[in-house]
Amino acid sequence: MKKKLAWLFIASPMVFGSQILPTYAESPTDEDKKFEAYREAMADFNPGDFWIEDGEKLFHEQRGPKNVSLEQCDLGLGPGVVKGAYAQLPRYFKDTNRVETLEGRLLGCMVNLQGFDEEKITKPYYQSLAEEDGTKSDLVELVAYVASQSNGEPYRVKLENAAEKQAYELGKYAFYHRMGAMDLACASCHATPGLVLRGVHLPVMTDPATAGKVMTAFPAYVIKDANVRTWFWRNERCLLAMRLPFLKVNSDLDVALHLFQVMEASKTDTPIAVPGIKPRA
Amino acid sequence: MKNNTLKVLSWAVLACAAPYSVPLFAAGNPAMAGTGDTTITEEQFLKAAKESFPWATPAEFDERVKNDVTLAICNKTNGQPNAAETDVILKFEQSRMEYPKDGKRYGDWKKGQEWAEGAHGGRIGFADADDPAHPNGANCYACHAIDLNFPAAGNMGPSLTNYGKLRGQSEPMIKYTYEKVFNAKALVPCSLMPRYGGKGHLLTAEQVADITAFLLDPASPVNLPPKAAAQ
Ligand code: HEC
Ligand code: HEC
Repeated sequence: MKKKLAWLFIASPMVFGSQILPTYAESPTDEDKKFEAYREAMADFNPGDFWIEDGEKLFHEQRGPKNVSLEQCDLGLGPGVVKGAYAQLPRYFKDTNRVETLEGRLLGCMVNLQGFDEEKITKPYYQSLAEEDGTKSDLVELVAYVASQSNGEPYRVKLENAAEKQAYELGKYAFYHRMGAMDLACASCHATPGLVLRGVHLPVMTDPATAGKVMTAFPAYVIKDANVRTWFWRNERCLLAMRLPFLKVNSDLDVALHLFQVMEASKTDTPIAVPGIKPRA
Repeated sequence: MKNNTLKVLSWAVLACAAPYSVPLFAAGNPAMAGTGDTTITEEQFLKAAKESFPWATPAEFDERVKNDVTLAICNKTNGQPNAAETDVILKFEQSRMEYPKDGKRYGDWKKGQEWAEGAHGGRIGFADADDPAHPNGANCYACHAIDLNFPAAGNMGPSLTNYGKLRGQSEPMIKYTYEKVFNAKALVPCSLMPRYGGKGHLLTAEQVADITAFLLDPASPVNLPPKAAAQ
């Protein structure tokens, strides 16, 4: 709360001022422009960098009941290799026989290598994802650190085997599947250009250029929450709005929705640049 | 089929009363094209959905994902049901239509204003679940422009500004508006607009009657010039 107040103070003239009284006459494009100026002002100092610093320490520290570091964690490029790892995820892993996201893979390593109790990680983790909750989580710090080690590289996720193709198809199916108490699909809001929802422009995630821009910014520092948020969180927020229950990290739909959208981003050369900065989402 | 055409026609007639043109609010989702080539079966999807969320009870899963006759057809047909499927949906959804106990489809517009603006309700899960003790809102402004004094609006549905001023408060208009808000899919089979009334949805029949009044009442800000303009 205190942390957030500080941010409110800095951010208020530009971002929050317009959020409290967003006149509809003022087009959301003007809002976007204002936010762009704000983002530039923050280019030299992004609070999300603290998450990366802490994540780097956590990655190399000996932790958990087994008292080992994550240096034996294979993120797809060999044990402990973090450079470029995020740019090729999600992908299939033989040892778990699953397609996994960076977040899911790190969670698995914390459980299998370091001996942490999965529920003891995920329970507080899910709770810290509430709106305007600034609680730092180890898992997000680790994700932010590893993701930042792909900065400058475009996504190059490939569908190289049956499991990856299946996960992609599931993601596509889920993206277009209307469900929940609101009768909506992701595609209802994110597959048609020009849609505005309650004053907010909706990104078209089936457009590679847009997906490239959006995907390369996560994990992002979300000003409203005074916290860094990951891909999992982003999809989860929208599922919550569709009135579906909380998504489980590394569940089939988590992986599939992520993979479907990252494949669009992979068609572009937009370089990963994390942590991004987002006003509220 | 004849029945079905009639219903769609009567809807069209009512809708034509609006002087604005409606851009792309076809019944289906235009962006759904091209999903037919997926190799995933509905069973595989349902299995994944069942395992990917911590459902509180099997009934919750059934209600929110599995047993929805209408959405099953809309998903299967990319929002373009054929005549027989349209009939199935319209019959089913019309059978779910309910009215307030006192029979009044025209409630209190001031309350309706509150329900239309509110976005609370129906969220479940670990973080940011909605307190079921509070009355739900409908978040109509997510998709519509309505009262122009409200600071935000969406464009996924047509503008409802001056709705009652343009259409009047006749009995058929009250009925149409009530039924549209209670269950948009009882009139347009795969409408993008959520069904608001009935089990598993957000509003009570009384709330729908309040919203009906909010849209239609001559004293409602929906039908008055925006404040800034009036000054
Ligand atoms: C009712 C409309 C709606 C639905 C349905 C919906 N979203 Fe969203 N989505 C939004 C809104 C509103 C935002 C926030 C945009 C903002 O604040 O900038 C958003 C943001 C996003 C973003 C981040 C965009 C960015 O610029 O950072 C992604 C990615 C996303 N949604 C994916 C999904 C997925 C996946 C689904 C389905 C599980 C989904 N959405 C369902 C409305 C929706
Ligand atoms: C997810 C977006 C969405 C939401 C939320 C939504 N609507 Fe709609 N609405 C639509 C669309 C799309 C249409 C046009 C298609 C149709 O008629 O079914 C529509 C049509 C309508 C119509 C018929 C307009 C006409 O010209 O006859 C009315 C009335 C209406 N909505 C009222 C409401 C009210 C009141 C709420 C809140 C309780 C609401 N809507 C919430 C999307 C939405």
